Amino acid sequence: MDKVMKNKTAIILFMLPATVLFVSIIIVPIFMSGYYSLLDWDGMTEATFIGLDNYIGLFTSRSGGFVKSLRNAFILAGLSVTLQLGLALILALALAKGRKGERFFVTVFFIPVMISTVVIGQLWMKIYNPQYGLINMALRSMGLDNLTRTWLGDQDTALLAVFIPLLWQYVGYHMLLMYAGIKSIPTSLREAAKIDGATDNQISRYITIPLLKPVLQVCVIFAVVGSLKAFDMIYVLTNGGPAHASEVPSTLMVSRIFLRNQYGYGSSIAIMIIFLCFFFAVLIKKAFKTEVD
Amino acid sequence: MKVFTKKVVGLFLVLTLIMSLTACGGNDAGSTGNSTDTDTSTDSGSTDSGSTDTDTDSGADAEDVTLTLWSIATESDAFNPAYTKAIADYEAAHPGVTIVHETFENESYKTKIKTAVAANDLPDIFFTWGGGFSQAFVESEKVMPLDDYYADFSDELNEAALGNATYNGQIYGTTYSTPVSLLFYNRKMFDERGLTAPTTFEEWKEVNQAFLDDGITPIGISVKDTWVLAMTHDALTLKSAGPEKVHNVLTKTSGSYNDPDFINASASLVELIEMGALIEGAAGLSNDEASQLFYNGTVPMYITGSWMAGSIYTDSETPEDFDLAPIPVLNDANAQITDFMGGASDTLMVAASTKYPEVAGNAAFELARSVSKYAYLDGAGVAAWNVDYDESDIKPLVQKVAQNATSATSFTLWFDTLMEAGDAGEYLALLQELYIGNLTPEEFAEAMADQLGQ
Repeated sequence: MDKVMKNKTAIILFMLPATVLFVSIIIVPIFMSGYYSLLDWDGMTEATFIGLDNYIGLFTSRSGGFVKSLRNAFILAGLSVTLQLGLALILALALAKGRKGERFFVTVFFIPVMISTVVIGQLWMKIYNPQYGLINMALRSMGLDNLTRTWLGDQDTALLAVFIPLLWQYVGYHMLLMYAGIKSIPTSLREAAKIDGATDNQISRYITIPLLKPVLQVCVIFAVVGSLKAFDMIYVLTNGGPAHASEVPSTLMVSRIFLRNQYGYGSSIAIMIIFLCFFFAVLIKKAFKTEVD
Repeated sequence: MKVFTKKVVGLFLVLTLIMSLTACGGNDAGSTGNSTDTDTSTDSGSTDSGSTDTDTDSGADAEDVTLTLWSIATESDAFNPAYTKAIADYEAAHPGVTIVHETFENESYKTKIKTAVAANDLPDIFFTWGGGFSQAFVESEKVMPLDDYYADFSDELNEAALGNATYNGQIYGTTYSTPVSLLFYNRKMFDERGLTAPTTFEEWKEVNQAFLDDGITPIGISVKDTWVLAMTHDALTLKSAGPEKVHNVLTKTSGSYNDPDFINASASLVELIEMGALIEGAAGLSNDEASQLFYNGTVPMYITGSWMAGSIYTDSETPEDFDLAPIPVLNDANAQITDFMGGASDTLMVAASTKYPEVAGNAAFELARSVSKYAYLDGAGVAAWNVDYDESDIKPLVQKVAQNATSATSFTLWFDTLMEAGDAGEYLALLQELYIGNLTPEEFAEAMADQLGQ
C-alpha cells in the first residue's frame, strides 16, 4: 500500500480518469459559461461582446427580477436550516435512542428523498388545487371557507406553498446523515452521562449535538447550497409565478434563456449562483470551524 | 442455503438493472414534468423496409430513408390523429421512407426546440411557430429554405398562408391550418337566460353580469399557462386598436404601445377581472384544468384558439350544447367583428443539417397537406390547403369555425409568437403582473413601450 502511495506515476495514472471527467464535465463548462456571460447572445445567432453589462443588469434592472429571486432563495435557505434541519435533528435523536422499529422508520422517512421531485410536485399540485385539493376540501368541511385560497396562484402564499414540499422531501436525507453521525458516537459516553444522572434531553444537548458538529456542518452546507440551486420543485409547481412571486435564480435563468433567448444573461445568473454557493460553503465552514476548533 | 439465496437475489437485481437500462435506452425523446402524456414514438405501421428497388420520390433514393419528425401533437392533442394518418399516407405513397414521429408537450417543447437549434441537434422535420418565434432559427442558418419545394405545391397552397413562414423574402416552412381565436360559449346556458353571443364589449359586460347575478362565474381562463390569458388580452387589444396598428407597434415598425387604444384594451381586461368575471384561482390552473370547467358546464365562456372546437367533441359529454362566436369589438372605429387573432402559425420546418434534404423538403409539404385535410375533417383545425375533398361529414362547430375564418377581413398572429422572443417573454411576464394587479393598465402600456424601445 505504501509503495502505491509513494509511486507518483501510479497516483497520476489512477487519478487520471476521474480528473479528466471532472474537468471536462464540471470545470470546462463553468469557464465556458463564464465566457458566455460576457456576451449578448441568444444561443443561436451571432454574439456580441458586452463585458460585464449582464452582471450590472442583474442587480440594477428593475424588471430583471434577480434580486427578488435571490431574496426568495435566501428565504428558502433560512427555512431549510431552521425548519428542515431542526426537524431532521429531532427525528434523528428520537430514532437513534434504539427503540423498536428504528430501521423501519429510518427507511420510511427516507422514502420522499427517493421519489422523483417531479412526482412529488404533481402530487402536491393536486393537494393545493383550489377546487378539489385536499387542503381546501378540509377547510371547507370544517366550515372555514374564507381561509381557502389558490395556494399556488396567490402572490402571498405561492412562495411558502412551494417551499413546503421542498422542505418535506429532504428531511429524510438530513435525518439519515445525522442518524449515522449519532450512531458513530461511542455509546460509552452516553452511558457515562446516564450514570451521572443526566436526562435524555441533557445528553442530547451537551453530548450528542456537540459531537455531531461535523455532520451538522455538512448538513448545513447541503441545505444552503441546495436552496440556492433549487429548481425542479418550483418549476413543476409554479414555474416561478405568479408574477415572479416564487421565482428563484434557477427558474429565472431558465425562463431568460428559453423564453427570451437571452443566453448571455442566463449564463451570468448561472455564474452568480456558482459564486454564491461557493461563498456560502466557505462561510459556513469558517463559522463551524471557530466552534469546533 | 443462505449463500444460494444471496446469489439468486443478486442475479435478479442485476437482471432488473439490465432490463431497465435497455428499456430506457430505446426512446430518447425527452419530456419534462407537466405533461401526463409524455412522448410517443410512432412508427406508423410501415414494415415494408423490405421493398427494395422502388424509386420513391424525385430524389431517386433507392435506399431506405428514415426521417425524424418532432411535433407537439401528443396523444391528448387534437392534432394527433391527423398527424398519424398523414404519416401513414406518406409512408404508403413513398415506400422505403419511414417517418419516426416524436411528440412533446406544448410548453416544454418551446424549451426543447430552442435547445436543439443551439446544440445542432435538430431532427429532419420539426414543428415550430411562425413569426418572431422562429426568427432566430432562420438567422442562425440552421433551417433550410423551402422555396424550391413549394414550387411543386404552389397551386394547392396559397402563398399568403405562408406569410408567417417567410423571412427575408424566402420561405422557410410550410403550414397546415389557420386557427383563429374565438369566444366559445355554452349556448344552452345562454338560452336558459335568454342571452345571445355579445358583439360589443358593453354587451359582453351585460352577459357577464347576468351570469354573475345567477351565481355563476362567466369566463374560464388559465393564468398559469399564461398564453391563455394572452389570447384574451390579444383579442381585446386587436378589437380596440385594429389590425394595422397592432402589427406596426408589435413588429416595431411604427407607433408606440403607450397609446390610448392599447391602454383601453388592458383597462377592459382589468374591468372584467374586477367585476369577478374570470374564474377564481386561474393563476393556479393549467389550460387543461380550466378547459375542463368549460366542458363540464361550470363556466359558460372560454376564449381560445379554434382547436377547441375539436376538443369539445372529444372532451365534453354534451357537445351539442356549445357554440362559438367572434370576439366582441371594443372600438368599432378601429376594428371589425371579422378581424381575427390567429392565422397560419403552426409551421413545419426542415433542418439545414438533414441528411436527406430532397426527401425531407418534399415530405414537409406532403405531410402538411395531409395534416391540413385530416385535421379539418377531425375538427382540430381550419384547412390552410385547398379543400378538394368531401366536407359534408364535418361537424357543425368546425364548419362554423371555417365559415368564420373564410369571412375574416384580417389575421393577426398571437402576440407571443408575433413579437421576437425577448419582447414576447416580457409581454407575458407583464401580463401576469397586470392580472394580479401589480400594474395599472397605464403602467403596463408604458412598460411594454419601454421594452419595444418606443
